[in-house]
Amino acid sequence: MTDFLAAIYYERWILNALIVLPLVGVVPLLLAPAARARQVALVVTILEFVLSLGLWWAFDSSTAVMQFAVEGAWLPQWGIKYALGLDGISLFMVLLTTGIMPLAVLSSFHYITHRERLYYGLLLTLLTGMLGVFLSLDMFLFYVFWEVMLIPMYFIIGIWGGKNRIYAAVKFFIYTMAGSLLMLVAILVMMFEGYRIGGVPSFAYDAFLTYAPQMGALAPWLFLAFALAFAIKVPMFPFHTWLPDAHVEAPTAGSVILASVLLKMGTYGFLRFAVPFFPDVALSPLVTSIVVGSAVIGIVYGALVALVQPDVKKLVAYSSVSHLGFVMLGIWAATLQSVQGALLIMIGHGLSTGALFLLIGMLYERRHTREIAAFGGLARVIPIFSLLLVVTSLASIGLPGLNGFVGEFLVLLGSFERFPWATGIATTGVIFAAAYLLWALQRIIFNRLDQPENAHLADLSARELWVVLPLVAGMVWLGLYPRPVLDRMDAAARHYIQLVQPGKDTAPATALNRSGAERPQ
Amino acid sequence: MIAFDPSTPVGTALALLPEVVLSAASLVVLLVVAWKHQGPADSRRAGWLALASLGLSALALGWVSANAPEEPGLGLMVALDGFRYFGSALILLVSAGAVLASLGYLERERLVAPEYYVLVLLAVVGLLFMVNAQDLIVLFLGLETMSVAVYVLAGYNRASTYSAEAGLKYFLIGAFASGFLLYGIALVYGASGTTNIVQIGAQFGEAELSLMAKLGLGMLVIGFGFKVAAVPFHMWAPDVYDGAPTPVAGFMATAVKTAGFIALGRVLYTSFQGSVLVWQPIIFALAAASMVLGNLVALAQKSLKRMLAYSSVAHAGYLLCALWPGTPLGMSSLTFYLVGYGVTSIAAFALLGAVGRDGERDVTLAEIAGLAETRPWMAFALSVCMLSLLGFPGTIGFIGKWYILSALVASKFPLLAVLVVLTSLVSAGYYMPVLMTMYMRPSRAPMVFFDRGLAGSARLAVAVGVLAVLALGVWPGPVLQLANHAAESLAQTAGQIVARR
Repeated sequence: MTDFLAAIYYERWILNALIVLPLVGVVPLLLAPAARARQVALVVTILEFVLSLGLWWAFDSSTAVMQFAVEGAWLPQWGIKYALGLDGISLFMVLLTTGIMPLAVLSSFHYITHRERLYYGLLLTLLTGMLGVFLSLDMFLFYVFWEVMLIPMYFIIGIWGGKNRIYAAVKFFIYTMAGSLLMLVAILVMMFEGYRIGGVPSFAYDAFLTYAPQMGALAPWLFLAFALAFAIKVPMFPFHTWLPDAHVEAPTAGSVILASVLLKMGTYGFLRFAVPFFPDVALSPLVTSIVVGSAVIGIVYGALVALVQPDVKKLVAYSSVSHLGFVMLGIWAATLQSVQGALLIMIGHGLSTGALFLLIGMLYERRHTREIAAFGGLARVIPIFSLLLVVTSLASIGLPGLNGFVGEFLVLLGSFERFPWATGIATTGVIFAAAYLLWALQRIIFNRLDQPENAHLADLSARELWVVLPLVAGMVWLGLYPRPVLDRMDAAARHYIQLVQPGKDTAPATALNRSGAERPQ
Repeated sequence: MIAFDPSTPVGTALALLPEVVLSAASLVVLLVVAWKHQGPADSRRAGWLALASLGLSALALGWVSANAPEEPGLGLMVALDGFRYFGSALILLVSAGAVLASLGYLERERLVAPEYYVLVLLAVVGLLFMVNAQDLIVLFLGLETMSVAVYVLAGYNRASTYSAEAGLKYFLIGAFASGFLLYGIALVYGASGTTNIVQIGAQFGEAELSLMAKLGLGMLVIGFGFKVAAVPFHMWAPDVYDGAPTPVAGFMATAVKTAGFIALGRVLYTSFQGSVLVWQPIIFALAAASMVLGNLVALAQKSLKRMLAYSSVAHAGYLLCALWPGTPLGMSSLTFYLVGYGVTSIAAFALLGAVGRDGERDVTLAEIAGLAETRPWMAFALSVCMLSLLGFPGTIGFIGKWYILSALVASKFPLLAVLVVLTSLVSAGYYMPVLMTMYMRPSRAPMVFFDRGLAGSARLAVAVGVLAVLALGVWPGPVLQLANHAAESLAQTAGQIVARR
C-alpha cells in the first residue's frame, strides 16, 4: 500500500485534493436534477473518504513534523500563504471528518425532502471548511476556514431544522462569531509583534510558535482571545448554552456533524494553538484552576442535566458537554497518557455520539417525536435498532472493550498525578453517564410496550444499517485494539508536551502504548 | 507618450481631461434629451449615453495617468497622483453601476424624465473635481457642483412626498455643511496665507497650529463629516436615503462617500500632516461614535433602505478608523476599503431597487421572506452583499476590514481595532436577519413585486458587483497593489513637502 501511494506521489497532492474535491463536487450537484443531488453528494463524499484513507498508510508515525505539506503564495504583501499540513493530531480529525460525511449524507436521504441541491451543496462546502480548519498551517487561512464553516452550518440548522430552528441558528452564529472576532485581533497583534521582532511579516504557524514566547505583557490578553474562541466552540461550561439548542433543532446530519466534528475544533484549537502558543499563561496556576474547574463542572453538570432531559436528543447534547470536559482535563494535565486519552475521546466521541444522533434521527423519522416518554418496549418491535442503540450507548458510557473506555481511562490515569481532586470528581462523571444512558435505554427500548403507535415500527432498512454499522465497527475496533491509533498520535502528543512543558520527560508509557516507549527519543 | 506640462494653461486643461470630457458629454446628453424626452425609449437612450460618457471619461483618465509628468511640481491646483486616479476610477465605476441600476428602476417607478442622467453626470463631474483638487477652492467648487445636482436627484420622484422631503433635507443640511466647509477654508487661508493644499502643509509644518488654524481644521472636518454622514453629523442620511430613488441613494452611499473620504484624506495627509496629534482625537471620536451608533441603531430598523443607511453611517466609522493612523498603510487600507464598500453597496442598492414596490417607499425585512425560493439568484446576490458588508471571510468586505485592522494594530492602537470587531459583531445582528428571512422564513403570498425580477441592465451591475466581491475576496492582490500605489503617491507628495521645508 505504501509503495503504491508513493508511486502515485500521494503525499504531494492529497491535501490540496481533499480541500478542492468537495468544492468541485458542488458543480455537478447544481447541474444535476434535484432528485439526483443526494447521489452526487454521496459519490463525492465517498470519493473524498477513499482518498483520505491513504493518509492512514502514508502517514509517518515516527515524527511530529507536519507531513504532506503544501505551500503556495497567496497574499505575499501581507506574508499570507496557502499552507497545509498534517500531523498525528490532525490526521485523526481529518479521517473522522471524511468518514462521517458519507454517513451524514446517507442519513439525509429520506429526512431532507425540499431544497435538496442547496442542502447537499452546503454539506460539501462545510466539508471543505472543516478540513481546512484542521489542515491550515497559516493563521490567516485558518481564520478564513474557521469562519467560512459557520455559514453552511447556520443555513443547515436554520432551513432544515426543527420548530425553533431560527433561534438556534442565530444563537449558534452569534456565539461563534463573538469568540472568533477577538481571535482575529489577537492573530493580527501577534503577527505584527512577530514582524517587529523578526523583520518579516508572516502568518505561518511556525512563525507564530517562534515569536509567541516574546509577546511579553500582551500574552495573557492574546491567550484570552484565543481561549474564548475555542472555549465557545468546545463548548466549555459556562459557554455551552448554544449547544443544546443547536443540537436539538438541527436536522440529523447537522447534529451528527456538529457533535462529531465541529465540537472537536475547539479542543483542536487548544491543542494546536492556544496552549502551545502561551504555555506559561495557560498552565499558570490561575488559568489552570479556572479551566480544570470549569472542565470538571462541565463533566458533572452536563451529566446531571442530561439525567433529567425528557428529550433524548437534548440528553445526548448535554452528554457532549460532559465528554468534552474530559478532553479539556486531559489537555491541561499535559501528560502523555492524558493527551493521548484526550485525542482518543475526541475520536471516540465523534463515533459514538455521531451514531447516537443517527439512531435518534431514525427513531424520529418513524415516530416524529423524541420524547423519551413516548417510547417503551422497542426491543421487541425493532430488535436490530435496539441492539445497535445499546452497543452505542455502552460505548458512550465507557464500557471496557468499546472506545469510550480507553480514552476516559487514559485521561483519568494521566490527570490523576497532576489534579488528584479534580480527577476524583471527574470520575463520578463516568458513573453519571452510566446512569443517564442506561436509564434512558430502559425507558426507550425496555419497559412495557404501552404505546400502540410503537407496536408497528419498521426495523432498520439496509440503508440505515449502512449508516450505523461502520461507526459501530469503529467503536469496537478502537475499544479492542487502539494501538495503531495510539502509535500514530504518539509523536504528536509528545511534541505537544514538549512544547508546553519543555524539559519534561515523556518516556514512561503505559502498557497500552508500548510501542511508543520502545522508540528512542 | 506626450508628457504635458501642467503649469501651462493647456497643460492644466489636459490634466483635467476626464473632467472636461465628462462635462462636455453631459452637455451633449442634455442637448439630446432636450429634443427627445417623451417616452421610456428616450430615457433609456439617455441612460446608455450617460454610460458611454462615463466610459469616455475613464479613457481620458487612463490617458492622463499614463502621460502625466513624474514630478508635476507642488504649486498646482490639480493633483496628478495615483491617489486621484484611484479615487476617480472608483467613482466612475460605481457611478456606472448606479446608472445601470437606474435604467430599469426609473421606468418601473414611472420617473421617465431623461434629465436624470444629465444630473448624474454633472454630479460625477463635481465628484471628480473633489478628488482631483489640490486647492481648497477647487475642492469647494467640486463639492458644490456635486451637491446641487444631488439635491435635485434626491427629490427626483415628484409624486412622492418622501422624495421631496429627502431633497429638501439634503439641501438644507448640505447648505449648512457647505457653510462650515467654506468657513473652515477661510480660517485656514487666514492662518496660512494660501488655499493650496500642499502649500498649506508646507506653511504649517511640524509647528504647533495657531488657534485660527485649529478652528479651520475643525470646521473642515465638520463639513466633511456631514458629507460622509459620520456621527454626529449623520442625521440627514436615513431620511434622505429612504426618500430618494433607490439608485440615487446607492450613488450617495458610494460615489459621494468615496469623494468625501478621498478629499478629507488628502487634506489631512498633506495640509495637516505635521499636526497628526491634533486631528487624531477628533477622528477617533467621530469614528467611535459612528461605529457604535450606526450599528446599534441599524439593529432597530425594519426598512431595508434605512437599515442600509445606518449601515453606511457605520461604514463611515470604519473608514474614519482607516484614516486615524496617519500612515501610508492606513491610507492604503482606506482606499481599499472604499473599493470594497463601493462595489458591495452599489450591488446591494441595485438589488433593493428591484425588490422595491411601485409608489411604496419602504421594502421591509418581512417582505423579502422566502425570496430564496422564488428568486434564488437574487437572494444569493443579496446574501453575498450582506456578508461582505458584515466583513465575512471570502468576500472583499473581509479583506477590507482586515486591512483596516492591520493598519490600526500596526499603529499600536488595538483599542480601536477591538472596537471595530465588537461593532462588527453587533452588525451581524442586522445583516444576518436578511439572509435568515430570505432563506428560512416561508414566503408570503402573493409576491407580485418580485416576479418581475431585475431589469437586464441592473442584472449586469449586480452580477459584476457580486462577482467582484467574491473574486476580490479571495484574490485581492491587484486592487491591493493599486491601493498601495495610491497611498504611496500621496505619501510622496507629503514627503516632498517635508523635503522643501
